[in-house]
Amino acid sequence: MAILEARGLVKRFGPVTAVDQVSFEVGEGQVIGLLGPNGAGKTTTLHMLLGLVTPDGGSVHLFGRDLRHSRLQALSRLNFAAGYVHLPGALTVEENLIVFANMYAIPRPRRRVDQLIELLDLGELRRRRLRHLSSGQQTRVQIAKALINDPELLVLDEPTVSLDPDAGDRVRQLLLRFARESGRAMLITSHNMREVERMCDLIHFMAGGRIVATGSAAELASTYGVDDLEAVFLRVARG
Amino acid sequence: MTAADGLGSDPRLGAAGKLAAAERPILQPASPAARRRRVLSVVLRDFYVLRRSVPRMLEIVYWPTVELLIWGYLSVFLQARRVPAVVAVLLGGVLLWQVLFRSQSEVSMAFLEDIWSRNLLNVFVAPLTSAEYLTGVVAFGALKLVVNVALMAAVALVLYGFGLFSLGPALVPFMALLLLMGWALAIVTIGVILRFGQSAEVIAWAMAFAFQPFAAVFYPVSVLPVAMQWVARLVPASYVFEGMRSVLADRGLPWGTLGMAALLDVAYVVGALAFFRRMLVKVRANGGLSRFGE
Repeated sequence: MAILEARGLVKRFGPVTAVDQVSFEVGEGQVIGLLGPNGAGKTTTLHMLLGLVTPDGGSVHLFGRDLRHSRLQALSRLNFAAGYVHLPGALTVEENLIVFANMYAIPRPRRRVDQLIELLDLGELRRRRLRHLSSGQQTRVQIAKALINDPELLVLDEPTVSLDPDAGDRVRQLLLRFARESGRAMLITSHNMREVERMCDLIHFMAGGRIVATGSAAELASTYGVDDLEAVFLRVARG
Repeated sequence: MTAADGLGSDPRLGAAGKLAAAERPILQPASPAARRRRVLSVVLRDFYVLRRSVPRMLEIVYWPTVELLIWGYLSVFLQARRVPAVVAVLLGGVLLWQVLFRSQSEVSMAFLEDIWSRNLLNVFVAPLTSAEYLTGVVAFGALKLVVNVALMAAVALVLYGFGLFSLGPALVPFMALLLLMGWALAIVTIGVILRFGQSAEVIAWAMAFAFQPFAAVFYPVSVLPVAMQWVARLVPASYVFEGMRSVLADRGLPWGTLGMAALLDVAYVVGALAFFRRMLVKVRANGGLSRFGE
């Protein structure tokens, strides 16, 4: 069963069509990647799925229901993290997680926060303010926040964008293991081809606001007659 | 990167699946318990920010005290020149003006905190309704205001012998009417910042002052030019400050004019909520909300 169905999504900003008839699904336990060059419409698409941007055309169904009519229900079953969104830096790790545990209406917030702090190995950092943490540590806290409600769909927009290769790799390992072991679905955008290759069951390539190719990393490389996803990316980005 | 950054091949990550499978740990999203918890999350967030911010703590005390000192000693000076009842009128004005100004600015600042910390998108993708968010920031703003007014009232009593409670039971409707107006202005402020982005944040400090000349805080409405008097009649606070002067002059509480202020307040709140909703629809349509993540 599809937990997310995007059908014919269209978004125009003035004369620019940022997203043009984009349709895809995310099934239970699937890890789906949205790839594409800057301005391809990935983030706008994600933001339409999250209710941050209203589509000019098309529809979003989450967990079988139209997002326009079931926003509260839908948002309580998914979560989101992005490289460009931060958590309040003045708050400690623990305080941030307690705030979001309450925001997602977790019945025993402290217990859940303790579980996540242990899971993400944040014990030593729990009483430190976020603004005093490294980028890698902050990203782990963001991911802890994104797992706070045990989301059935985790939406990640360039989650490792500001991390060095080592920190990025550790975060990828964490996400991958979470997806595999929890069976939860993920929808990821990234510019990191290796990240997408390693994590995603299916990849939608976007360019000029449209999905121009779909398949696994190997299928896409084969379709374009190149060796890897990076070569596919360059081919698509350069038309 | 430090050692504490590491996740590596930590076997605890194997718990991820178990953690997810064990339970779906959320309350029914539309239940009253879930709504209360979401409102609490906003109050908690603001409390944590306040607790960890010395400038925010000082704001509760600093500006109101400075204002109280200036107006207090001015009124003492005028009283020495035999201007009647001036201490009570000016200090009453200062204290009640703080109720209006702080109720507007505290709520606006709470929203700006989310923008400054680049947390706004986290809030908007959470299952938190606009009403719950506004209730949370208003509730915490009200708590701060109680502390603020209590401190100022104590200073006024100690330095000038002016007891805020000399206004008697009238204090309750006065404060309630000013709070409502302040919150309505705060909701408009948030709507404007949503629509025009962070560059419009100056409005968080300026909005209430735009109404101050018409609110007749320190002078009667009758001294204003006729055109300004017409505007003042549309400002709920003007009825409150006129009422305050009436009480201090022992002319009693003018319930009729306070009723008018209440009606105007209701109109302000309804208008503010409609404006906020319209701005939210607008920024979702034009992509403005997404830009808060940039």
